Amino acid sequence: MTRSRLVFFAAMTVVVVGVAAGVGALWLSPARAAVGPLAGEALILPADAKFVMGFDVKRFAASPFYERFKAQRGMQPAALEDLEAKTGLNPARDLDQIVVAGTGVKGAGVAVALGHFDLYKLGRAIEASGKAQGTSYEGVTVYNFSEESKQPLSLALVDESTLVLGPTDQVTQALASRTRGETPLKTNAALMARVEKIQPGSTFWMVGDQSLLASLPTSIPGPGGSAGGGSLALPSLVGLTVTGDLDPQVSIAVTGEARDAAAAKNLADVVRGLVAMASLQAAQKPELQQLASAVSVATDENRVLVSARIPYETLDALQPKRPQAVQSTPEPAPTVR
Amino acid sequence: MRDTTRPLPFAAAARGVFDLTLDGMVFSRRSLLMGLLVAAPVAFAVLYRVLAATRGQAPLGPADLYALMAAVYWIRNVLPLAALFYATSLVADEVEGKTLTYLLTRPLTRAAIFAGKFAAYVATTFTLALPAAVVTFFILMTAPSAPPLATALADLPRDLGVMLLTLVAYGALFGLLGVLLKRPVIPGLVFLYGWELLANVPGYLPRFTLTAWLRSLVPYRPAEDGLAGLFQQVLPADQALAVLIFVSLALVAAAAWIFSSREYVLDQ
Repeated sequence: MTRSRLVFFAAMTVVVVGVAAGVGALWLSPARAAVGPLAGEALILPADAKFVMGFDVKRFAASPFYERFKAQRGMQPAALEDLEAKTGLNPARDLDQIVVAGTGVKGAGVAVALGHFDLYKLGRAIEASGKAQGTSYEGVTVYNFSEESKQPLSLALVDESTLVLGPTDQVTQALASRTRGETPLKTNAALMARVEKIQPGSTFWMVGDQSLLASLPTSIPGPGGSAGGGSLALPSLVGLTVTGDLDPQVSIAVTGEARDAAAAKNLADVVRGLVAMASLQAAQKPELQQLASAVSVATDENRVLVSARIPYETLDALQPKRPQAVQSTPEPAPTVR
Repeated sequence: MRDTTRPLPFAAAARGVFDLTLDGMVFSRRSLLMGLLVAAPVAFAVLYRVLAATRGQAPLGPADLYALMAAVYWIRNVLPLAALFYATSLVADEVEGKTLTYLLTRPLTRAAIFAGKFAAYVATTFTLALPAAVVTFFILMTAPSAPPLATALADLPRDLGVMLLTLVAYGALFGLLGVLLKRPVIPGLVFLYGWELLANVPGYLPRFTLTAWLRSLVPYRPAEDGLAGLFQQVLPADQALAVLIFVSLALVAAAAWIFSSREYVLDQ
């Protein structure tokens, strides 16, 4: 064999090993039961969900975003606040991932929390608080929180790595599916098709279908505002996918599915116009120029792809500055003669 | 005994030319230079890991850096440049070195000569580029803040395939330029950094560039400064594959046909 052929075959060996590792990883991955980033355990969620969202708590807690903003109010999503208030569970320490499925923005969703839980301690903490009644359903301990003004909630301690929290009827429905070995969420073809396209490894992701998006506004004020300037009609979306990461910068990717390519192009043009208008404001606010440069808009047949990569320095610059406290100078003491 | 009045079979002839050309291409100064250029991301990846370990937070995640290298550095810039400098000289080197006569007097069809040389070009650039991509991938994707390796690995075969297709498509185009023109490098550069910019304009024009089809095959969309990033089009992947394969075959066939029918007069 000539020297050059030897070099060529050595190069090909490196490439073949890399490709084989890729194919092998795809085949042997323990997460094959999952659908995209959606863990297999979360497929017990209801089939009639209009949206599904996932949250990688570990990645979130390790991100600069968490460090910078954790002291601010309203930092934690409602599901996490509810869980900590009722059970004393430390989400940043004990949770790996949360998946929430629901039927609408206003309706309560049911959440599956995956992590490492001390079920005995958790149960004792809940019982000691006196706020919940423990029962057993399908062999799983379920704590029912009944508060008069709200829909009754339940927390099911499925096993040491899985908790289910949500309205009581939906929690019992999920437990029944689990007992029967069913995966109802997987039968929601519209949502699953979008979830499958999401790359695992995102800090947060969300997919919504047409019925959820029907509640979104269909127009925005046109030039001239409401004073006779009319409004711009927005093409309606039939699907929405949002993914994001927070390390080392805030990265967000939004994919909107329109009815056809023309509608997607119109929507993309609206987004481009908004970004361009933000750029024009750079004279007053230079940080807006950075923000505008961080956004890219593309179309792919009937889909609009908007992605933004925003450094934390830009976010800091966009934060409203608190007015400095004015120090009052003390009045001089009156002289006594 | 072989019938010496007829040329060698196409495959045997092309293989012979491939062996001869590969030796000269792989171990040449041009390959050393191109190798350094193509493998530069490996050094950047190592530097990134060292800096991330010693100085902490990096402004760009490892996955984003890999995406930038794959989509911008290799597919948009360096691989087309490598194709330009190798493919334009497939025949031009023989003409300049006045060795074309020796090749043409052998019992080989001209199409087989061109095919052997083109195959040697693909093998040489493959040898330089794809291992660098694999090594860069593993260096970056094993970083602590990278996404799970098992899931990221599934993208590697696709990225390598698109890089190979980049080399073949641009190589076919510049190979054709090489047999058509006496000095093909300048028009090649004008094409790369002039015509290919049409990929960034809205409308139907991006379909007339190679880079628009190639970038539609990878999911990486690095944000670009100013308004250029606002008008990216993602063309259908299946169409992109079909167009690139068809265009590559057509250009190679055209180049082989022109080489076969053209008369070369060497300067004395």
